[in-house]
Amino acid sequence: MNLLSLAWVFFKIGIAAYGGGWTIVGIIKTEILGRGWITEAGFSDLVAISQVTPGPVALNAATLVGYRLAGIPGAAVATLAVVAFPILSILAATSLLARLGKARGMLQEALKTGTIALVAMTLWTFLPAAASSWTSGVLAAGAFALAAFTKTHPLFIILGAGGIGLVLSLLVP
Amino acid sequence: MEGTSPTPPAPSPGDIFWTFFRISAVTIGGGYAMVPVIGKEVTAKRWMEEKEFYDLFALAQSFPGPIALNTALIVGRKMAGMAGFCLALAGILVPPFVSVLVVALLLDGFGNLAPVRGFLGGAAAVIPGLVGALLWRMTRTRTWTVWRIACTLCAAAAVIAFRSWAIPLFFASVLVALAGEVRS
Repeated sequence: MNLLSLAWVFFKIGIAAYGGGWTIVGIIKTEILGRGWITEAGFSDLVAISQVTPGPVALNAATLVGYRLAGIPGAAVATLAVVAFPILSILAATSLLARLGKARGMLQEALKTGTIALVAMTLWTFLPAAASSWTSGVLAAGAFALAAFTKTHPLFIILGAGGIGLVLSLLVP
Repeated sequence: MEGTSPTPPAPSPGDIFWTFFRISAVTIGGGYAMVPVIGKEVTAKRWMEEKEFYDLFALAQSFPGPIALNTALIVGRKMAGMAGFCLALAGILVPPFVSVLVVALLLDGFGNLAPVRGFLGGAAAVIPGLVGALLWRMTRTRTWTVWRIACTLCAAAAVIAFRSWAIPLFFASVLVALAGEVRS
């Protein structure tokens, strides 16, 4: 793994990283899987771990993917590369954007269009995993119902499903 | 205008770093879980008023990047300039970096045990459900117009169909959507 191409990919991901973790996870997935750097199952594992470790999910995912691909140097490079553009743009444009006033509302509305599209893409790329087995389908549907219609914290949903997976692995070897 | 409220104590560099470090180290569940915690901390320490904090949070959403990080950076800079910015950056970045590496190292050792595989498989299985729920909430809470519906559907279809072009297509759709917002 070439550290420079790792840095470039994560820098690019950072530029479009609007709207929170799941947008970024979707872009990381398409960029990394598209290059054949990591397998589908390997990536799902990394995202599951990112969810249950402290810190922003997108950062955790970047650190883990970097680590898998190139060890600790890879982890450092991916983490710094994914935050490089956000850091620079905040340094350069905070006072400018703060002065935009009403126009900033329009910008944020327009960003919602792109963000919803990217979350839809993330969902699309994860759907085959949900359809891959009965257990996955039921867990995904249950998670959707709990997260969409109740105030259950996502962490409990993830840990609960992990617990179910653990028990099943002991019962059905 | 600050006649009635006593002057807030100026935060020390160590205080800024440790505040963000602590929040980043103990808050699991991503940015939207972390931001309210940051808000509570900075208002409890009387570094800023709640309204000012949520204005900065709104501003942070105009930038790309993890929302918790952006909010921390903007808050840090507001409080202590460049030094505050760098301290907030270090405070947010270090704990997840270290904890994620520790977990990754553990998995190198124990990742192939059946119960660990079972746990990870179960935890990964909920991802489509959680993403679906996020999409559901985002679409439910947005104020829709015919233009926004058309724009969003086209953008979603485009990024799904041409996934390797997701980043340029994202910016193209934001520009088109922005043009529509400006005209109306």
